[in-house]
Amino acid sequence: MTLLASFAHEDAALDAARALREKGVADVELFSPIPLHGAEEALGLGKSWVRVFTLVGGILGAIGGFTLCVWTATRFILPTAGRAIIALPPYLLITYESTILLGTLMTLLGFFVVGRLPAWRDRVYRASSNVDRFVISVAGAGAPEAEEILRAAGAESIERESAS
Amino acid sequence: MSATRELMFDHGQPSYSEVNTDVISALTTTTWRYWVTLGISAGTALLFFVAPWIYQIIVGVGAAGMNRNAMWGTYLSNFIFWIGLSHSGTLLSAVLHITQSDWRKSIYRSAEAMTLFSLMTAAMFVMVHVGRVWFVHWTFPFPNPMELWPNFRSPLMFDVMAILTYLTASSVFIYMGSLPDFAAVRDRSTGLRRRIYAVMCFGWRGTAHEWHTLGWAYTFFAVLVIPLAVSVHSIVSWDFAMSTVPGLHHTIFAPYFVCGAIYSGTAGIVTVMWMLRRFMGFGRYIGQLHIDNLSKLLLVLSLIWTYINICENFSGWYSGTSEETVAIWYRILEGPFWWLYWEMIAFCAVVPLLLFSRRIRTNWNVMLVISILINIGMLTERFIIVASSLPRKFLPDVFGTYFPSLVEISITVGSFAIFTTLFLIFVKVFPAVSIYEVKETLNPLRKKEAHS
Repeated sequence: MTLLASFAHEDAALDAARALREKGVADVELFSPIPLHGAEEALGLGKSWVRVFTLVGGILGAIGGFTLCVWTATRFILPTAGRAIIALPPYLLITYESTILLGTLMTLLGFFVVGRLPAWRDRVYRASSNVDRFVISVAGAGAPEAEEILRAAGAESIERESAS
Repeated sequence: MSATRELMFDHGQPSYSEVNTDVISALTTTTWRYWVTLGISAGTALLFFVAPWIYQIIVGVGAAGMNRNAMWGTYLSNFIFWIGLSHSGTLLSAVLHITQSDWRKSIYRSAEAMTLFSLMTAAMFVMVHVGRVWFVHWTFPFPNPMELWPNFRSPLMFDVMAILTYLTASSVFIYMGSLPDFAAVRDRSTGLRRRIYAVMCFGWRGTAHEWHTLGWAYTFFAVLVIPLAVSVHSIVSWDFAMSTVPGLHHTIFAPYFVCGAIYSGTAGIVTVMWMLRRFMGFGRYIGQLHIDNLSKLLLVLSLIWTYINICENFSGWYSGTSEETVAIWYRILEGPFWWLYWEMIAFCAVVPLLLFSRRIRTNWNVMLVISILINIGMLTERFIIVASSLPRKFLPDVFGTYFPSLVEISITVGSFAIFTTLFLIFVKVFPAVSIYEVKETLNPLRKKEAHS
């Protein structure tokens, strides 16, 4: 069973989330129409793993771009006016671009992996939380004691949804 | 903070649900006027861009007015123009995101769309320009039976990499920023539209975890995209500056191009914002504060642009080398395009001085005219760079002149229709004003009054 509490005010929702976390209630989700400042702290979200993806992507892109230039240039040596075959200034430009290209793509991948998206199956959701309501959902065993906390924090309405 | 919040909206703050209603109904309610406009612009694109291009493919690239020595012409200058126009969108959006400027939030989505579509238009010009377009994939590094690899020492290859990266990054940037809004459209619609948006938003629910992840990813995109945008137009400028042609061989070209790009792009944003207010009914969200800030930005950029122009001519003249001074006199006084040069100076350096006046800065209609004049000026700037330098290199016996042919002029006109068509499709697919970020600029829904 999942408990869904709807709030009209963001600070009330954050207070409720904070209280639930202090009580040690697990599986708490906070849905909001805008990113809430303070939600990270209230739900204990730290630094996102996305940054690791970006870093790895950047490094891979840099190595890949430079290797591509050097490798292709040495497949068929084409001397032009005595210029260097492995010429650093132009190759570093390609390296720069490929660093950003792979950095972007890996950040995108990181967003999907860390954010657990895409998820097209049916999940607990209230459309009002994308307009002007702040919804807290509590799943599983913590629900009974959560109800009191949510009501005390000023929830407008509390609904139950049987687990799918 | 709250003072800025009040300034953001000319006619009072909307409520949270009004933002959803306004933006989504602009997306879903379509009048016959929209379809007529779309039809006209798509038809123009077919007639003026696609048809002459097919003609050029059949008879060969000789249909264009390019010839020795001017192997580059209007196509290249249009390419630079469209790449330039693409600059302000992502750059402005990313820079203002990093600096946390709230006024960006109602205009950035359309600005980024402008970026994406002008980039696409620019990419079309590459294909038109290369002549034998069916070999255009040879610019990509892929294993092939000819055992040929692209020459990465060439600025044209820098271009391929830069534009490919920019196109990818700016598509990702605009799409990721729109995810929560796609979800909002999904919740508001029924039937097929609902199913399409449900797929497009990847099942977004707006949990704290998702916002947290999006926030991190978005900031990284912004940080990656800023140096990228600067590098793209620098690289485009090196297509020219790395040659030894008088009039092109300037070290100042990279900052000159980047500044000019942001300048023309910002003017483009003003034009697009006027359209959104007039035809999409977004006057409630895009108001005095936005036009004032954009105009101030335009003023600063025009001053920088003027300064760089003076530098370019001065350093050429001061160098004392005959071919450089000849090139300058040819460009500004003696050549066939001297009047275009002074038109450019009038539109890009003189007219924007009007923006010192606040009354002009906050007048949308006057700003529309000024922004269009600036972009006409910037289009001619690019034409002058190409058309007054390449036909006259060092040896006077191979001096020639370049004038665009009918095919080139028609394709230039058609490119504007292509851009308009793409943008018209955009406003019916993407929420043209960011729903969730506009909500962030409203007074927060709090019970207790915040002290900070």
